[in-house]
Amino acid sequence: MTDLAIELKRVGKRYPYFALDNIHLEVPHGQIMGLIGPNGAGKSTTIRILMGLVQQDCGDVRVLGRRMPAEQIAAKWDIGFASEDMRLYEGMTIEWHMNFIRSIYPNWDAPYAQLLLKRFGLRAEQKIKGLSHGQRVKATLLLVLARRPRLLVLDEPTTGLDPVARHEILRELTAVMTDEGRSILFSSHNTQDVEQISDQITFIDRGRIIDSMDKEAYLDRWRRLRLEVPLGIALPALPGIIGIRQDGRLAIATANVFAPDMANEYESSGARVKSIETMTLEEIFVANVERSREEVEA
Amino acid sequence: MNSPVIRTLILKDWRLHRLHIILSLVASGAALLVLQFRNEAAFVIGSVWLFVSLIVLGSMLPVSNVINERKKQSVVFLMSLPVSALQYAVSKVVSTIGMFLAPWGASAVAATIFALSRRDIPNGIVPFILILFGLPLVGFCLVAGTALISESEGWTISATIVCNSSYGLIYYFIVRNPAINGAFKSPTPVWSPPVLMILAGEALAAGLIMGLTFYLQSRKREFV
Repeated sequence: MTDLAIELKRVGKRYPYFALDNIHLEVPHGQIMGLIGPNGAGKSTTIRILMGLVQQDCGDVRVLGRRMPAEQIAAKWDIGFASEDMRLYEGMTIEWHMNFIRSIYPNWDAPYAQLLLKRFGLRAEQKIKGLSHGQRVKATLLLVLARRPRLLVLDEPTTGLDPVARHEILRELTAVMTDEGRSILFSSHNTQDVEQISDQITFIDRGRIIDSMDKEAYLDRWRRLRLEVPLGIALPALPGIIGIRQDGRLAIATANVFAPDMANEYESSGARVKSIETMTLEEIFVANVERSREEVEA
Repeated sequence: MNSPVIRTLILKDWRLHRLHIILSLVASGAALLVLQFRNEAAFVIGSVWLFVSLIVLGSMLPVSNVINERKKQSVVFLMSLPVSALQYAVSKVVSTIGMFLAPWGASAVAATIFALSRRDIPNGIVPFILILFGLPLVGFCLVAGTALISESEGWTISATIVCNSSYGLIYYFIVRNPAINGAFKSPTPVWSPPVLMILAGEALAAGLIMGLTFYLQSRKREFV
């Protein structure tokens, strides 16, 4: 058995105004992968392909060792999928939905479902049409979690939620991961949410994966160097520096593979290093997207 | 086929639409009650009522059971379950057809028994009744097939309009066929070649539309 929960190789999908191009994505078992991208980047298309809801034009997709979309039925028994655009039946109650899911999944964990109802502040007899957006998301997540899936695929689950609801949901997702056999793929354009729970992070933009690595590696390797550059001094091109923005005597160099020697190199060229700053995931994401777009346009 | 899940999806559709089915059965029952009055006005009103209730159900079910599920995005929820697109289509076709066939079949049987049991109505009208009942069935298949394939409310409404406006025209040509109207007053049902051909044509059309629906559905590369 493969040690990957999700494996996409050279996956492509073409639409008239958008193309998913040569997507490689690997999520090991027991890991939380955050898929970050701006709106329209291809996150939902990628997720729909790996769920077997959209068929790729080329490439191989395996989820829990099953080929998608051909073996989607077998795979979906162990996948809990929730997306921002997923809606439950408005005229029916949460309890009706719980009974419906329980009639399909033998692994349905009724005590856990009751616990989640309590934790999320939901009442089983509530009709879906009477729920707020946050409550609907929680109800959907309850239906997904209580079937005890090995893999959770969540497409923008926290979009539009208030901070308290987001916190409740992220806490529950983190709790799910106490079982080491479980894996989560979590897409969002909210880097804070992803940073909070993910082990690994993949950036996607304009249908291409632009970077993918361990979260800690991102935070360790990316730095911003604030420099003072006297007139007449040209900054050297250093490996690992992906961009320099200069405004008069002040310059900001962004490193995606930071090495302490970089400061010495700049100092010896005549510049003065004013500070070396760590970057937030959001800053890393934006810098990554900008670099990728510049490369494509060049 | 993942039959337990398909069966669950079908039962779910029946539960969600049971009010439609009950209302249609009540309307058909009321129409049959009106037909019990032995005068021409009651016969015309009862017959029209009976067919209108079936036509309304046949137009409403595909929109309610197929289009609304897409429009309201519940289809994403269903497709997260262990089913393929084809299995979902199978469940939709079976549940939608089943929900229509139950009141349709009950009405067709009741109308046939009604005609056979009434001494003032010649039994020769029975083939004509069955031909008439075939029309909303074919129309329903066309509307349901359009809904499943196009997934578009606009196309489904267009198909409904085309079907509903064709019934009168088709009725006109059937009634004018001497092989059919000539047998109205016969004391026994006359299964003439034109009658059998029309009945076979209706069955074939319904089967072809549904077969084409399954075929096109199985070739879809994107489902939600």
